[in-house]
Amino acid sequence: MKLNIEGLLVYFPYDYIYPEQYSYMLELKRTLDAKGHGVLEMPSGTGKTISLLSLIVAYQRAYPLEVTKLIYCSRTVPEIEKVVEELRKLMEYYSKEAGEKNNFLALALSSRKNLCVHPEVSSLRFGKEVDGKCHSLTASYIRAQRHSNPSLPSCRFYEEFDALGRQVPLPAGVYNLDDLKDFGRRKGWCPYYLARYSIVHANIIVYSYHYLLDPKIADLVSKELAKKSVVVFDEAHNIDNVCIDSMSVNITRRTLDRSQANVETLQSTILKIKETDAAKLKEEYRRLVEGLKEANVARETDIYMSNPVLPDEVLQEAVPGSIRTAEHFVGFMKRFLEYLKARLRIHHVVQESAPQFLKDISEKVCIDRKPLRFCAERLRSLLRTLEIADIADFSAITLISNFATLVSTYSKGFTIIIEPFEDRTPTIANPVLHFSCMDPSIAIKPVFERFQSVIITSGTLSPLDIYPRILDFHPVTTASFTMTLARTCLCPLVCNLRNPQHGAFWEGGEGPVIRNYGNLLLEMSAIVPDGIVAFFTSYIYMENIVASWYEQGILENVQRNKLIFIETPDAAETSMALEKYQEACENGRGAILLSVARGKVSEGIDFVHHFGRAVIMFGVPYVYTQSRILKARLEYLRDQFQIRENDFLTFDAMRHAAQCVGRAIRGKTDYGLMIFADKRYARADKRGKLPRWIQEHLTDGSLNLTIDETVQLSKHFLRQMAQPFKQEDQLGLSLLTLEQLQSEEMLQKIAQIAHQV
Amino acid sequence: MAALSEEVLLVVKRVRQRKQDGTLYLMAERIAWGPEGKDRFTVSHLYADIRCQKISPDGKAKIQLQLVLHTGESTNFHFSNESTALRDRDAAKDLLQQLLPKFKKRANKELEEKNRMLQEDPVLFQLYKDLVVSQVISAEEFWANRLSLNNVDHSASNNKQEVGISAAFLADIRPQTDGCNGLRYNLTSDIIESIFRTYPAVKQKYAENVPHNLTEKEFWTRFFQSHYFHRDRISTGLQDIFSECAKQDEKGLRSMVVQGVKNPLVDLLSLEDKTLDEGYGSNSMAPSTSSANKTVKENSNSAIIKRFNHHSAMVLAAGAGKKADAPNDQASETSSTDGNSRDSDFFQPPVKKVKIQEAIEYEDLHMENGKKTVALNLKKSDRYSHGPVPLLPQQYTTSQDIINSVNCIQQEIANYKPCLTQVMSSSTASSAIAALSPGGLLMQAGSQQAINQMVPSDVQGELKHLYTAAGELLRHFWSCFPVNTPFLEEKVVKMKSNLERFQMTKLRPFQEKIQRQYLSTNLTGHLEDMFQMAYNKFHAWQTRQMLRKT
Repeated sequence: MKLNIEGLLVYFPYDYIYPEQYSYMLELKRTLDAKGHGVLEMPSGTGKTISLLSLIVAYQRAYPLEVTKLIYCSRTVPEIEKVVEELRKLMEYYSKEAGEKNNFLALALSSRKNLCVHPEVSSLRFGKEVDGKCHSLTASYIRAQRHSNPSLPSCRFYEEFDALGRQVPLPAGVYNLDDLKDFGRRKGWCPYYLARYSIVHANIIVYSYHYLLDPKIADLVSKELAKKSVVVFDEAHNIDNVCIDSMSVNITRRTLDRSQANVETLQSTILKIKETDAAKLKEEYRRLVEGLKEANVARETDIYMSNPVLPDEVLQEAVPGSIRTAEHFVGFMKRFLEYLKARLRIHHVVQESAPQFLKDISEKVCIDRKPLRFCAERLRSLLRTLEIADIADFSAITLISNFATLVSTYSKGFTIIIEPFEDRTPTIANPVLHFSCMDPSIAIKPVFERFQSVIITSGTLSPLDIYPRILDFHPVTTASFTMTLARTCLCPLVCNLRNPQHGAFWEGGEGPVIRNYGNLLLEMSAIVPDGIVAFFTSYIYMENIVASWYEQGILENVQRNKLIFIETPDAAETSMALEKYQEACENGRGAILLSVARGKVSEGIDFVHHFGRAVIMFGVPYVYTQSRILKARLEYLRDQFQIRENDFLTFDAMRHAAQCVGRAIRGKTDYGLMIFADKRYARADKRGKLPRWIQEHLTDGSLNLTIDETVQLSKHFLRQMAQPFKQEDQLGLSLLTLEQLQSEEMLQKIAQIAHQV
Repeated sequence: MAALSEEVLLVVKRVRQRKQDGTLYLMAERIAWGPEGKDRFTVSHLYADIRCQKISPDGKAKIQLQLVLHTGESTNFHFSNESTALRDRDAAKDLLQQLLPKFKKRANKELEEKNRMLQEDPVLFQLYKDLVVSQVISAEEFWANRLSLNNVDHSASNNKQEVGISAAFLADIRPQTDGCNGLRYNLTSDIIESIFRTYPAVKQKYAENVPHNLTEKEFWTRFFQSHYFHRDRISTGLQDIFSECAKQDEKGLRSMVVQGVKNPLVDLLSLEDKTLDEGYGSNSMAPSTSSANKTVKENSNSAIIKRFNHHSAMVLAAGAGKKADAPNDQASETSSTDGNSRDSDFFQPPVKKVKIQEAIEYEDLHMENGKKTVALNLKKSDRYSHGPVPLLPQQYTTSQDIINSVNCIQQEIANYKPCLTQVMSSSTASSAIAALSPGGLLMQAGSQQAINQMVPSDVQGELKHLYTAAGELLRHFWSCFPVNTPFLEEKVVKMKSNLERFQMTKLRPFQEKIQRQYLSTNLTGHLEDMFQMAYNKFHAWQTRQMLRKT
């Protein structure tokens, strides 16, 4: 249908529309008009992605000079592919309706592992191996060496691309990862570099968060993207953690040992080169003196690793004299390593700020701040000069140099914690230096500053006001949308089980609670059809509960009703369990999946329709509060953003709980029970932090239920849901035709869907 | 004795039945009991008739064996030989245990099936009464055709509908304490079968060790003692015969894991686009939980989890049975023929595409395009597209004739020139149509108030039965064509005589009855025609047969 969104003609590739989609598009349009940022929460399964795409594409067509590019960031590879497929649908609709072929270029970008077509390289299993192998075939000095020695291996796909691929831009169209690979195979061009080259002139890019948020990658990939772009972060409920992760470093003794080995290799290589090709080192020295850091910046294949700090923090001056010659630099690194080793030889926990660390290092081993800041830069230059092919081997020393640069660049927002052992195993020495970022706004700041509009959206962003605070930006729109429903297809229930005391579970003092949990699961397994997903607060906790359930014979009884599958720390094993789980749901046997909140399953897997008719959330998934990193972060949040510790912890727990229970509802034709098996959920501070679309259905009658009451209500709900549900039932309420949409009355109703904060 | 020719497998003396002493015989096909001193059996059951056997619990004063028949009756045998009663009983029980399943499967299924069909289908039941009970054809003939027909219909579903395994079968063998520091497990043959189907490794062990090395009882005792059964125990002793099973399971699990998953949406390994490099990130604490610093308890916990996953997967696989194997084989064949592991890459996209399409589909946002239809399941699609070819009543037309005539018609049509001067005027034509329409001038004779008002209902009913019976016979008759085996030859002759007999014994009396009631309409005309058609066919076949012989 063709919609009129405040004067903008929007093509929407379906015959009907959900009211909230219309409302969402309205808010989105206002955000784009204002050229500002937005935070929008809309339940999963209400067609968020297609609404976003429809509106932004329409906007781009209407105002090609205002918005030149859409950068759509999603979290997982399947999500990225889904977005591109939705986009394809939209584009097909455009060409069908408008009759003309539009000249939009849209493409997905992913890591080499997902795009490589080189027969040998792509058969490697891990992303890092693929990257390393690719680099060893395509680095500029390797290719230069090949001129003199043609027998060296090469990647014909890259060579072809380099020779021809840049001349003609990629033809307009929608390219998913597989399409890019096909295209690459057909042309004999490397799809990865083709995609990276093409994003500059593409109208729409779909890739993962890291390409914008991790400075190490963003600098390479997303440097040249235009300012007049709209950036969308989908599934953004964890965006702060992504930001933090990309800036944090952990150093263990093993890292140091490997760095030591790296330094020795460097040293011997330098000696060798000195004998054979001293001119090369001299040339490098000369370059460094002149401050020509990136003389050959265009060599895209070389910049395999990039500066860990944000672009505007990178110093625009020459490398200081003390580390300019290769030997001096290696000596410098050695000293730094020794210092770190000494720091790790401790028996008690040390926590200090970056300035303290710098002061200490200058006192102890006379290392100044300035050369430290150039560490990453200098190492990169050295590795290139030495023509080291397999950079993956040097990951340890790279990590150390990145740490050096980070710690000397940022004096705020970071903390250094050195722990001599893990809390759980105090007898085993395993010292770790955590250099952890506590301020997610550092990593995302350049994105907000650089791009015209940044949209943060997800199914679960409540409470909405916290994201602008922790990410430190000022949105022009902040809205939460409800799900209009013709029938109440979600049923949140809060069971009044007592919360287990944290940490007490391995002493076995939690018998009754565990037994009650088990009884709830057992009862539910008897009444819920097909799939049930149960989430626990942590993996160890789940392990212990499963063991007790096994001893108590609860699991055996559950098995009478359904098969049991359990998430394990091993991703491959869990994938298998998941597939079997789905198989068991398909064939009617029914199954239960025991899983962990914050785990991979809770973040990336949807349980649509019969794959998840009920989700049980055992306990409140608080983060492990004893962690010092977390404590430091909480302190920081309190001091900098005036966010109380408890507020943040509850917010964090509730967003994960909402993620978990939200997995079951993926659309209006879907239905599912959401059982919160912990009485703490009934408290206002917890309840109030659930997304609005869940909160709405959480009435007083569904709070504080006993197991029996929960079962009764569930039975009732399931029976209702089992009745046939047809399109006509929805029409006019939660599903609109174009005429219905245009009626005055409906527009008024729609205005209430968006809940402005 | 009555049946000396039978092979006697076991003789047990001093067995009481109805308070009478006697001897129990287990023969190849039946079990029999004769009172002492008499040389005939008063009790004799075919194994096929026995539903199950039950034994009195150990420790009871009376040592008994009960046989329950399919009919619901039961027979009790009391083993009364003081010293060896228990052993006798167990010998008989064990032998029966081996014998019964063999007969059970065969005999019963058929009987049950027949019974079910007759009960479900009153028309068939009537037919059965008309034809078999009145001895027009024998029961075997009647079923021969039916069952095979039925099998064709159901074979597909019949084979696949193997009963799955309860996921909790191990829970059903809850041990009971026997009061003196021991545990008792109750095993039934169903449970044993479940164990074997779920854990092929155990079955293999069983085949290897029983009965050469261990008795059955010992085998299961060890099974229950092994860590293998107790999922939380970590393998300790190497002499345990099941430690190998555990290893095999582990291997199986690993191979399943290595195989990976077909659905890319649940593949957690490829979920993440770009993982952080080692050493980055805020919570890299997780990987340090290596096995080294795990406590025994934690190890056992993760063992439980692994085994639950494995158990569920195996139960699922056992339930899916052959069905699941077949496509797998196919897949492995295709990939192996190409001999290139990278092919997985080419096979993958379709699955992936479909799954992604499914995931982004909003069914309710689409206009419903027509009702969803049920797929037409055609057994012979050519018959659907060409229609049944009517048999000409006269002589047999060869396919050459048909082709010729088709050609003729085609030619005529090609050369057809409408002669517009000689057509009827439109008014004449419409009056002719009116006259020929129901209720029109020429249609008065075949008036609609036909049979159902003129003929009394009992006659109607009888006629219906005649029709179904005749139809059944004719079906048998026609199903013999083309006659290409000696068996069919024989059958067609027999069927012809059956038809004649039917005509004599059933149709004639009916006709006479109608005549007696002065019912004018020729009710049986069509039936007669059908018979005549069959006779014609038969004669045509016979004459050709003769010609061929001379």
